[in-house]
Amino acid sequence: MTRRVIQSLAEPLAAIVLALLAGGIMIFLLSGLVPGRQPFDARLPIDAYGALVSGIVSFNGLTSTLVYSTPLILGGLGVAVGFKAGLFNIGGRGQFLMGSIASVAVISAIGGATGPWIAIPLALLAGALAGALAGFIPGFLKATSGAHEVVTTIMLNYILFYVSNWAIKGPLTLPRAPQPTTQDISELNGALYVLPFTRDLHIGVFIALLAVPIIWFVLYKTTLGFEIRSAGANPDAARYAGMKTRRLIVLTMSLSGLLMGLAGSVTLLGQVHQTSFGYDTGIGFDAITVALLASSNPIGVLFSGLLLGAMRAGSPAMQSQAGVPPDLINALQAIILLFLIVNVLRRVLARRRAGTSTPEPAALTAGKYSTESVQ
Amino acid sequence: MARLPRKAIALLAVSALVAAACSSAAATASPTATPTPAATPTPAATPTPATSASASAPATAFKIGVVTDVGRVDDKNFNQYSYQGAKDAADALGASVSYLVPKDATEYASDIQQFVDQKTNVIVTVGFNLGNDTIKAAKANPDIWFVAVDVAPCVDATGAPDSTFACKGDAATLLPHLIGIQFQEDQAGYLAGMVAAAVSKTGVIGQLGGINSNPAVVRYMQGYELGAKAYKSSVTVDSGFFSTGDITKAYGDPVFGKTFSQQFISQKKVDVLFQVAGATGNGALDAACAAGIYAIGVDVDQYQSYPSADKCIVTSAEKHLASAVSQTIKAINAGTAKGGISKFNAANDGIGISAFQNTSVTLPSDLQGKLDAALAAMKAGTLTTCTAQCGTWTGK
Repeated sequence: MTRRVIQSLAEPLAAIVLALLAGGIMIFLLSGLVPGRQPFDARLPIDAYGALVSGIVSFNGLTSTLVYSTPLILGGLGVAVGFKAGLFNIGGRGQFLMGSIASVAVISAIGGATGPWIAIPLALLAGALAGALAGFIPGFLKATSGAHEVVTTIMLNYILFYVSNWAIKGPLTLPRAPQPTTQDISELNGALYVLPFTRDLHIGVFIALLAVPIIWFVLYKTTLGFEIRSAGANPDAARYAGMKTRRLIVLTMSLSGLLMGLAGSVTLLGQVHQTSFGYDTGIGFDAITVALLASSNPIGVLFSGLLLGAMRAGSPAMQSQAGVPPDLINALQAIILLFLIVNVLRRVLARRRAGTSTPEPAALTAGKYSTESVQ
Repeated sequence: MARLPRKAIALLAVSALVAAACSSAAATASPTATPTPAATPTPAATPTPATSASASAPATAFKIGVVTDVGRVDDKNFNQYSYQGAKDAADALGASVSYLVPKDATEYASDIQQFVDQKTNVIVTVGFNLGNDTIKAAKANPDIWFVAVDVAPCVDATGAPDSTFACKGDAATLLPHLIGIQFQEDQAGYLAGMVAAAVSKTGVIGQLGGINSNPAVVRYMQGYELGAKAYKSSVTVDSGFFSTGDITKAYGDPVFGKTFSQQFISQKKVDVLFQVAGATGNGALDAACAAGIYAIGVDVDQYQSYPSADKCIVTSAEKHLASAVSQTIKAINAGTAKGGISKFNAANDGIGISAFQNTSVTLPSDLQGKLDAALAAMKAGTLTTCTAQCGTWTGK
């Protein structure tokens, strides 16, 4: 047991170390581009990583790591659930926005009248349901017509982005605002409570942390979870065994969307509080990275979400203290992810060569690996 | 299964070797750097280099931080010139300056907070989208100066952001360390209108704005029309807007901007086109080039910032962002700055038009004299550059 745990941790850790080395070399080579630095400045990588670490390990750094991780964990769980059933949900962007907008709508409608104890749960519920609806649509289309969810979710991203924009500049916009903006919900008792002695650690973080064991339980300890995994592993066999695979597709996509909508809702209620025209985040796509890194394992999603959240929390310090340009930081993060993903791929390929894997949809091979390592 | 751990061990061993090699290289290059860079993922290992790096500046130094809007710091637009202004001020004052580019809207508040934590003296935020978070930060940190570019701070009676936009509170007294930089766009538009009327051969000139409900856009356009008519009263000014409500179409869609402008040019038969529409307007510049007519840029020197259309750009109606930000920071440093809206216009070098760099344009010999006279009159405050309802579109 311990050997397996060490084994499963050693490779990602080695990948991170190698990635940081490669990133450090890249920063070293490009240090001439940073204002105030000599070309090939060996101190720059050290300063940059020092700043990154200092941005993460302070008390405020740790809380903002948790805050940034929250939507990534929730969204990552959403994508992972889809992967388990062999469904690739790229619609996170739209589902996230629907969750945000639904929460804004609920709070600005009732937040002033009712107290936060009624308004916030309702807003979370509305956000989750709106996300679920946004996931239901591609699920329904796939189940009834066979339209591939990759295509429909990508298309829906555009549609839902514009729906969200319409809502922000239409029914939700503040009268007399110089540019379309929704109400700042923290004025309306509508923001998720920020814990005392912290600056930004809102209770939405606990929703994400709670969702991890819940989703793990659903996937591995319930009939629904078994059916989801079976449908993912081999849809024909699942159908032959009497499972209603169409219903499962709709359910899984809705659950995936629900988690993504919840991510949007929590981000809005706890972090952003207000949306302006064009409101958008990269979380819908980053969540795919989170799920892939974790091989669709809910527990792994917790850690990969924290990793990406930490990189977000640390990057402002890298920019402002070490003077590393944001482009270089993005490239560095991409390198780290690349190393990790290559690592996962390498394993999958090795397994396939060894003949232990049956041919499966590409999205699912990662999931297969994780089901074995978690139990 | 026995293969896997060996592979993992091999990986670790290789990485340890590389780490060792790398750390010795780093150590020879700079003897003070003690920990290996490879050790950084374990948080406890290296908290020291960051503090030593950031502490290299003396504690008393004047520190300036810039939080740009989403995008790039070298966007040849608001982000870049606002940062440029902060940098100019920093160079003049011997201060340090750094910037943060938020990845998306979720980072606005925390990026501002980052500079608060670093005990920054002046925090510059760029654009309307950061306005609310800037006001909140200014309220929470009354000792730090905040400069909000292109924002008119609107607060309620407690000094919090006023979402009803009634603006009942007096921002200047409630938040005395918050300065909102605003520009008198009509003056820049007026000068651009004079140039347009001067280079037009047919006497029919055009202008395209993003949305008619945006007062800044409308001020540019009202000034443009007045300036054109002042240069030559017979000139016809045709105006249009890209959108009635869709901000993406209005300011963010150059492809749409080009097709829309092509129709506008062919219908109205204009031979000079002024754009007041951000990225959508860049499409208008392209359309003007394609149609072989002159174009006038907006906000920044677009002959420089949008070189793909430089063969037809005559000049640009400029907000002198760098000058405004730099002046504001210097005033803060000198102790002469006051909270509230800081209005930049011709009198304090806040607006202007870009130098004529396009040698293919022949300018009437009287133009420069008339421009200088108009600018002097603006500085003296004797020239009306906007309509009675300045900022409210009353045309068709």
